[in-house]
Amino acid sequence: MKQASGVILATVLGTAAIAGAQPAPGGPPTPTPYDPPADGDAPEPASQPPATGDGAPAPPPVIRSPDDPGPLLGGAVDPPRAGTGGPPIRRKPMRFPVVLTSPTGWLLPAGVLYTRNAIDTGGGVSSDSRVGLGDVAEFGVATTDQVRERRLDADDPERIQPYVTASFRLGLEENRLFRAQPGMTLGFRKSFERTHSGFKTRIAELTLVASKHLGPDVALHLGGAVWDASLQPTVADGAMPPEPITLHGHGIAKQVRVFGGFEARPLPRSQILVDLGWAPDFCYQCTAKHDPIELRPELSWGVRYQLARSVHVESGVRVPDIGNFNLLDAQIFGEITLTSFALSDAVETLK
Amino acid sequence: MQRGLVTLIALGIASRAALAEPDAHDAAPDDAAPAPPIREADGEIPRTPDTSLGRMFRGPFRSARLFAMPTADVVGAYVLSLSGEGSLLQNPGVLTSAGVIAVGFGDIAQLEYRHTEAIGITGLDAPVPAVGVQLKLPIPEHSGVPAIGVAFRLGVPRGELQGGKLVDETVTDLYLVGRLRFASLPWLTLHGGTRISSAKAAPAGQDAVVRTLVLPTAGYEIAMNPTATIIGEIALAPQFQWMPALEPAPAIGRGLLGRLGMKWRVLPAIVLEGSLGYQVDDAAPTEGFDAVVTWDIRLGAAVFVPWGALACRAVGVFCN
Repeated sequence: MKQASGVILATVLGTAAIAGAQPAPGGPPTPTPYDPPADGDAPEPASQPPATGDGAPAPPPVIRSPDDPGPLLGGAVDPPRAGTGGPPIRRKPMRFPVVLTSPTGWLLPAGVLYTRNAIDTGGGVSSDSRVGLGDVAEFGVATTDQVRERRLDADDPERIQPYVTASFRLGLEENRLFRAQPGMTLGFRKSFERTHSGFKTRIAELTLVASKHLGPDVALHLGGAVWDASLQPTVADGAMPPEPITLHGHGIAKQVRVFGGFEARPLPRSQILVDLGWAPDFCYQCTAKHDPIELRPELSWGVRYQLARSVHVESGVRVPDIGNFNLLDAQIFGEITLTSFALSDAVETLK
Repeated sequence: MQRGLVTLIALGIASRAALAEPDAHDAAPDDAAPAPPIREADGEIPRTPDTSLGRMFRGPFRSARLFAMPTADVVGAYVLSLSGEGSLLQNPGVLTSAGVIAVGFGDIAQLEYRHTEAIGITGLDAPVPAVGVQLKLPIPEHSGVPAIGVAFRLGVPRGELQGGKLVDETVTDLYLVGRLRFASLPWLTLHGGTRISSAKAAPAGQDAVVRTLVLPTAGYEIAMNPTATIIGEIALAPQFQWMPALEPAPAIGRGLLGRLGMKWRVLPAIVLEGSLGYQVDDAAPTEGFDAVVTWDIRLGAAVFVPWGALACRAVGVFCN
């Protein structure tokens, strides 16, 4: 009941935020204007839109190129500061660090703050906050609802939440070394120790992922992950705890997994997203037939819609264990993603 | 005995460095002679009463370390460097931290209080406090010619509790490090060196165990853009091992520590650091590179304070 109330409250707050971010009625939203970059690396500032005969600015043209696919898949450049007469803001393209659940090969630009909050029909609540570091790395803290537990083989798995993780990713932006080079990131995510149902658990994931634009509106993501996890029964004070059971103790084949994602933009502000990821599943009293720690494939698909320059909403379906394709276990989720250049701008101002 | 020898070497080098520095009285301009130009072009912060705060904190500032490994550089004259880092996840539920305070003396030396890396008996890469002096040998810099630095860190005991027994761990180090740059690869800097480490484990009420170790260390920096660098370092570190129920005395061995991360100069005087840490713990030989759950994330920051320029502006001392 308490969990349901939390979900309802989060839904109401999320809906209010979405409603508040909606554009005023009176016409379709106009895409963010930008000029194509002079080269593949440095985005140029946008030019002022030309004025019409009555003095009002004309709607800005949308210019796309294979190098600069636009605000959703990257390439957004803000217009000059209105009214200040100062120099135009130069901003790196904003590219999302996750598809739906899987990491991408793109990093947040330096000083950009990113936060994503999600709820789903299974009562799951998750949050992910990150900051871009120097255009070469990002750090984040998140709560995930993907880690699951069960006591016996036959039990239905239940989520352990909140499960707090920290992440650090290093990478190279797309086309940095050579023209067709995909964006690449080496990421590490590790949880704080979580005590639940008489067991202490931890998870960790090392990922290497590449992301490549195929034209202005399509991108592919492909990566490999080395997973690890530990499971240890809790004991009374003073007693000797048993050795923890670890995933790496079962061999590298149990740890390595391939994941990936796909995104396409059929409309200027809308994207279709599909991804395949993995999540650990702890079984406390499983027999020899099943390992106490297993990785389950997780398939997600959905849509991302840009409400405003820094507000996106995502919604879709997630199947937590695509291996048995139990659709009764599938969840419909809703997410709101906020990004902010405030810190980045503040740093530039201080400089 | 060994510590005494190491101290003697460090003091000798420090004396040479001090003699190499221009004396303040000798350097004072003669009334009749024109004042020497301020060496702003050389990359030094001007110390004059009318230097603005913005100019002071614009630097340039140099870091004297990668993550744990000292480099051949020092922070510079009249500059104070404060840096710290925390491990979010290494010890579950505990934020382990380490820090460095360094004060530059001349352009070739610095004094510091720091936490040096060692693996404690509880298996953690736990920092051991140390005071030290770091020197940069005054060799002209050329492409392909290494800059050489010497760092001495005098260990301060750190207590650890294992199996109900308190053990004082002390590590005293002498680092010989080199830094290599090439004109053809301006984005790359290589670092390498050796850490000669005297480690001591002193259990309460028992004889201390002392061992001297030679520990190679290496690292690299890749400049990704004007403000950010990717850094990797790998080093052997002293490792204390003891299970009081099974072993009569502690043992001191070697453990491998690796770090891969970045430094981002947010402002000239503020640097943010982030890294992944890896440790091969030979107390548990089954744990290899695949034991990802034992890896670590570290976050840190460094702040540079041009105290000489500030003092000159505030009270008129330490001016050029």
